[in-house]
Amino acid sequence: MIEMDGLTKRFDDVHALNGLSLSAPDGQVTGLIGPNGAGKTTAFRIVYGLLAADAGTARVDGVDVAQDRMAAQRQLGVLPDVRGLYPRLTAREHIRYFGQLHGASGAELEADIEDLIARLGMTDFADRRAKGFSRGQELKVALGRALVHRPKNLILDEPTNGLDVMSSRAVRLLIAEMKAQGHCILISSHIMSEVSALCDRLVIAADGRLVAEGTPDELRQAAGTDDLEEVFVRLLGKAGALL
Amino acid sequence: MTGWGLRLWTVLKKEIRDHARDRRSLALALIYPLLGPLLVAGGLNMAGKTLQTDERNRVVDIPAVGMEYAPKLAMHLEANNIRIVPAPATPEARNTAVRDGHLPVILVVPPSAQGSEAFTLDVIANLGRVENLRATARLTGIITNFNDAIAAARAAEAGLPEDYAVPIKLHKINVARDANIAVFFYNMMPPLVIFMIFLGGVHLAIDTTVGERERGSLEPLLLAPVERWVLLLAKSGAALAFTAVTTLMNLGAFKVFMSLAVAGSDQLTQPPDWSVFATVLAISIPLMVIAVALQMSISVVTRSMKEAQIYLGLLPLVPALPGMVLVFKPILPTDLTVAVPVFGQMLLIGQLVAEQALDPRHLAIATASTLGAAALVFWFAARWFRREKMFVLG
Repeated sequence: MIEMDGLTKRFDDVHALNGLSLSAPDGQVTGLIGPNGAGKTTAFRIVYGLLAADAGTARVDGVDVAQDRMAAQRQLGVLPDVRGLYPRLTAREHIRYFGQLHGASGAELEADIEDLIARLGMTDFADRRAKGFSRGQELKVALGRALVHRPKNLILDEPTNGLDVMSSRAVRLLIAEMKAQGHCILISSHIMSEVSALCDRLVIAADGRLVAEGTPDELRQAAGTDDLEEVFVRLLGKAGALL
Repeated sequence: MTGWGLRLWTVLKKEIRDHARDRRSLALALIYPLLGPLLVAGGLNMAGKTLQTDERNRVVDIPAVGMEYAPKLAMHLEANNIRIVPAPATPEARNTAVRDGHLPVILVVPPSAQGSEAFTLDVIANLGRVENLRATARLTGIITNFNDAIAAARAAEAGLPEDYAVPIKLHKINVARDANIAVFFYNMMPPLVIFMIFLGGVHLAIDTTVGERERGSLEPLLLAPVERWVLLLAKSGAALAFTAVTTLMNLGAFKVFMSLAVAGSDQLTQPPDWSVFATVLAISIPLMVIAVALQMSISVVTRSMKEAQIYLGLLPLVPALPGMVLVFKPILPTDLTVAVPVFGQMLLIGQLVAEQALDPRHLAIATASTLGAAALVFWFAARWFRREKMFVLG
């Protein structure tokens, strides 16, 4: 379970977060959506221990990230917006490196790597160096890296950004599979059809604060329209975030 | 191994494997260290060849006018491998030719020399030109010998002792000059070794810090449960490993190439023993540590790889410049001078190369001072590495 409680963060004169709160329970996919600059990436970065909040707390399975960053990170698998691979390491070496950083080793780690390579459809390029990988291949390596330590909670920042139809579909299937296994999944996305299909609950944020939250149906009802994109536009318009 | 030690080892291993596949890192570690030794050994080899040539057997062309007035002198010069060649006809043309360097020296025999043993010779020389010194010295030396022989013969004719007219004879024994040329080259080694120490890990330091940030791989790395200082220490360890390989290659190349360069000469001093090179390597360890600490702190402070490359390209010059000054003006190690970080090691290495005994007290002070400074620099880098701005792109 991932919780954010009154997160506030300022970068010089820019107020990136203004008391954002949300809760992403286990066994559900929670979508954090909002326009550019809404503070989604900043909120994620506070949860995974890269940034410190000026005020408020972020907890992963009850562990306060500010108090024990490493304990929180052990419970968390993250696909950040920037995939960032090492061009001279193979896909397999990437996954092994991150597994070892999480303390895994030996035959058990190798079996987990093999399993991830098969599940993510990486067999063809598992032992090729990352230089020249397509965006789809990069995403699969980044996912493998995020999942190798079997985290209970997942944060996926723009998981299908820049992917072709087949790769996007594979990611969506993986998310559904993880949800069925009881994982807590928190995603951000700009693609409304994806959000609509995947998320059990949506949190709409603008200017670093919560604008609306609920199931997709609840939000449709509140906005008085069936089109989720229109829901998004109307709710943001109400909050004055489009101005 | 458990805990942070294991995490440190994991990151260190990855960085070494990653950069062992990188041509730039490998070139810095394996090829660059050969260049300085090749250059120094080349110079040493040329110096050796010059000294090895027996000048007395080399025929030298000396332009002269009026040689027909002094046939005995002409014969003596020829017997001493001087070949007389024509010289310009007028005094002005002769002066100009020597002044401008067209001719090395001109000998002018006056008509009054005809049939006489006592006369004045003009030697037109330009001692402002180094390359003419040797020809002029050779010519005047042979003429002086001829003069001494005439003086001895005339003294004998007069029933006087042979050395009557030349009471003091000079006997030059050249022992120092040739040896010093080799030592001069050996003294060039310490600044070049230190230059390479500050260069060996540069690419790795940049690539694993600011390079990771630019590539976007630093953020995923920081998501792993690893202490920030452990990350930086492991990356420093990898840079240190590459620096050590570079230094080893560099010192080995100096020993091998310099030994080869003087192998054909019986006049040049042999380079220091392998044991001296091993001690230089040991004394260099604190230098490697501070070099890496400086590289890491500059890399984490800079905002881009380009900026880091500019600063780190200049970094090796900082310790190498005082080192070059030490080649020409050696400073004696004292408790105070060896306590200056980096400079202390330079003084000690200079002493070793000059085959002087090291004072263990100096060694202890220099090691403690440089390692202490390195620890401070690393502490600064580690603190900076924790800053949010260090790793957040955009």
